[in-house]
Amino acid sequence: MKISVNWLKDYANFNTPIDDLVQRLTMCGLEVEAVENVNDDTIIDINVTPNRQDCLSHLGIAREISVLYDCQFKYPEHDFIAENTELDFNVDIINTQLCHRYAGRIVKGVKIAPSPKWMQERLMNCGIRAINNVVDITNYVLLEFGHPLHAFDLNKLKGKKILVATAGEVTKTLEPLKIRLLDNSERILQDQMLLINDADSPIALAGIMGGSTSEVTEETRDIFIESAWFLPQSIRNTSRILGIKTESSYRFERGADIKILKKALDRAAYLMKELCGCTIHGKIDIYPKRFKQQKIKLSFDKINRYIGMEIPKKEVLRILSALTFEIECSEDELTVKVPSSRCDVTRDVDVIEEVLRIYGYDKVPSLLPVAPIKIHSQDSEAKKVTYKIIKKCRELLLNEGFNEAINYSFLGPQDFDLFNINNEDIQRNTINILNPLNSEDSMMRTMLIPSLIRNLVYNISRGNKDIRIFEIARTFLKTEDKQLPIEERHISILLCQDKEKYLYKDNVEDFYILKGVIEKLLKNIGIDEIHFERSKEFFLHQGRSADLFIKTHENNKFMKIGYFGVLSPQVIQKLSVKILKQEVLAAELLLDKIINNLMFKKITFLPIAQFPFIERDSAVVVDDTLELSKIVNLLNSCKDSISNLIEEVAIFDIYKGKGIEDGKKSVAFNIRYRSTDKTLSDEEVDTIHKKVLSEVLPKIEGKIRS
Amino acid sequence: MSSSLKELFSEELKSANDVESINILRVKYLGRKGLITESLKSLASLSLNERPKAGKALNELKVFIEETLRDKELLFSQKVLESRLSRESLDITVCGKYIASGKTHPINQVLSEIIDIFEVMGFEVEEGPEVETDYYNFEALNIPKDHPARDMQDTFYISDDIVLRTQTSPVQIRTMEKNRPPLRFISPGKVYRCDSDVSHTPMFHQVEGLMVDTNINFGHLKGVIETFLKEFFGQKVGIRFRPSFFPFTEPSVEVDISCIICESKGCRICKETGWLEVLGAGMVHPKVFENVSYDSTIYTGFAFGMGVERLTMLKYSINDIRLFFENDLRFLRQF
Repeated sequence: MKISVNWLKDYANFNTPIDDLVQRLTMCGLEVEAVENVNDDTIIDINVTPNRQDCLSHLGIAREISVLYDCQFKYPEHDFIAENTELDFNVDIINTQLCHRYAGRIVKGVKIAPSPKWMQERLMNCGIRAINNVVDITNYVLLEFGHPLHAFDLNKLKGKKILVATAGEVTKTLEPLKIRLLDNSERILQDQMLLINDADSPIALAGIMGGSTSEVTEETRDIFIESAWFLPQSIRNTSRILGIKTESSYRFERGADIKILKKALDRAAYLMKELCGCTIHGKIDIYPKRFKQQKIKLSFDKINRYIGMEIPKKEVLRILSALTFEIECSEDELTVKVPSSRCDVTRDVDVIEEVLRIYGYDKVPSLLPVAPIKIHSQDSEAKKVTYKIIKKCRELLLNEGFNEAINYSFLGPQDFDLFNINNEDIQRNTINILNPLNSEDSMMRTMLIPSLIRNLVYNISRGNKDIRIFEIARTFLKTEDKQLPIEERHISILLCQDKEKYLYKDNVEDFYILKGVIEKLLKNIGIDEIHFERSKEFFLHQGRSADLFIKTHENNKFMKIGYFGVLSPQVIQKLSVKILKQEVLAAELLLDKIINNLMFKKITFLPIAQFPFIERDSAVVVDDTLELSKIVNLLNSCKDSISNLIEEVAIFDIYKGKGIEDGKKSVAFNIRYRSTDKTLSDEEVDTIHKKVLSEVLPKIEGKIRS
Repeated sequence: MSSSLKELFSEELKSANDVESINILRVKYLGRKGLITESLKSLASLSLNERPKAGKALNELKVFIEETLRDKELLFSQKVLESRLSRESLDITVCGKYIASGKTHPINQVLSEIIDIFEVMGFEVEEGPEVETDYYNFEALNIPKDHPARDMQDTFYISDDIVLRTQTSPVQIRTMEKNRPPLRFISPGKVYRCDSDVSHTPMFHQVEGLMVDTNINFGHLKGVIETFLKEFFGQKVGIRFRPSFFPFTEPSVEVDISCIICESKGCRICKETGWLEVLGAGMVHPKVFENVSYDSTIYTGFAFGMGVERLTMLKYSINDIRLFFENDLRFLRQF
């Protein structure tokens, strides 16, 4: 709110340098955001917090200054002698719930003209456009008292009366009521909206904006000035529904001062008499719901305990009475009566704040609280484990060269289309935002990969190469039976590397690089058994992708905990950047599900083998399509079926090409044999190794490579 | 006899120029049938008078040949090693094979820095849902539906009753509902507001904190926040507490630090004031305690909240908040 320093000086007798004023106001809760010199005046822009409607005016700020500087405060001139005529005009409040008080004055014989220059300047400096003397005076009083007034052209009001009632209370037909406002917009009214009506129709949206039918114009001679109090919630509700915010609604919805409205009204009438050459008639003041003054009890001890220091009683009393609180006070206690301008003060702590903000936050000594040592609950232990695992995962990915990304938690329908995710897919169970910034960001993420793909496109289009990124974030899955979605953490990884540009080249498939990262990550956090199956996700390359399974806590069965692989060429094709040479790989791991199914094993030391081992290498030629895991599983099963002397099985070579017929591959493996209680002989091992080969070879239709 | 042998040996040694020829000489002179061995055997044919002298000379010659050959051999094998090493030499200036480590997102770096400071002060970490009910996000925090304070935050709505949390304060309510005082925790996390420009993004990160016990006072609020800010920004940073308004605290505080960009001389970042707003705080409003059935005549507490992006931007002089979420690798790799 823009405040003129010269204007303030009309009411508060202060004369301090601007710097000091700005500092003191800021430090008492009226933050000065900008200072501007205009002609011989200084305009300060104050950020008034929503609780301080009393400071949305020059008088309010002047009052604060008088407290801060302990100087005199006075109201502006508002006394006049009214004409002693019979009033031929009626006001009736139908809805006393929404309108607690309605006052008005009639002024006659107005000469509409521009307002005087000093008034125009003050208005302009405070950001309000000058219109004519009558409108300017209502605005001037608004900035002065903080109380919104409205001027109606008296002769345009039908039936010589005003009804304060909601649309529902005055409408006679089924047709919704309409009103054309001063901004020339036509609005359809809802039943609960409070209106000012004449005998025929609505003439104003109460407390928000006047109607055009009773607008003050060049021809206006007689005026009805309204000064009323409307229920803040009702004003706010109507203003929000219709999307209209005005200086008036802004103040009413913060709670206007029901007592000051009479003074503001008289001030406006006084100014009109002085500046528009009119006469003032009669007074209307319907006040069905009297203001109930709040009384708050508190002790000096509470003040001091709450603040953590002792503020002298004398100072407490000075501050509160300067802020116009009425006080009754005994040795230890005081009762504070809250003025009508400070409806935000309702409890003892509000009073404490009033004292403290004037006394000075900076005067309170800083203390460190003494608190008991806390023994961690089981709940917090589980949390600690989770954080540890997240940290481990993050560190591993960083070490593997992936950079951490953070994306908005949003995606949009276009992402699902890009990824060919059909309507039956669980990942379509999104919760949607009613008021998104744009439709591309209108849903909460159920998966993270689409965000990383956006990052990929962004980076590639800016010439960045070798994209390795990951994100750890929550996803949101809609469920029918719960009010709130299921929030679960995922890890997503994206890899798109330009291997030709590497100094050290190797020909490892990217698929195996990403698979290696994932295997290492899962093993690192304690998962030994991972099961891979060809992935069923439509957006992944069917030959170069896998779904991941681990065993569950509950029934020891395998459960899907993610997927990874090369993105399907169909998806890549649709991206807005061209990626020709490299493959794009992505992974999505359901981190919370993984953590929930971790089995924490107690580590028990096993004695280190005492006797030497013997190794045997073999190479077998099998069909190229044979999955390696089959060989490994068969070899491992020989531990049980053939000999417990098999210690370890390892594949060390896979070869296709020269020397091997087309459609076949050679797989070389090593078996290490060891006994725990003797040194093995070569002959013993040869016999077992032969048995192993004759057990496994027929099952894989393999031949020993010659 | 020994002198002629010595001459012969010296002569032959001259043409020996590798380990191989040294070994041949060793066999020729010192072997089982070598010249020295044979000569020693032939001593028997000498007279008793001549024997000791000739024997001594032969033994001296033997030691001489042994030592000479050993020295030569060492010399040659060293040369062999040297030539091998120089053959195998690599360009040590070519960089090693490794994948450059990735970087933690700057927001998460600062987030864990903040968490570490509070953990040392005994604060636990609590989390809660990002999609929240209107009750936890607003009502329970003393922000009724038609309260103007709702204007302070532009809210994303999922339905009339469900919102994307605009602050992590609902975690305070949920944690208080589940536990009895004393309480001391922070709640870091993502929050959402319907806003987007140079200084606003629709999603950002907050850390809020809460301490509740009997006899917690305003001085404690100042002490804890000052300790945190000095740990984070350095011991010399200036700190000021000024009155503000939040519906869930009373009194409410806005905390400024002396501008670390211009050292309080006045700049664009601090809007020429020399101060930067970094944190909001206050004594927990008794209404909030009543909403979670704590007796507000017994318990008092303070709460605070800060924007992680804001702190990160100040720390690294970042001028556009949107950079955090574009995830440009040239940005991410800097931290």
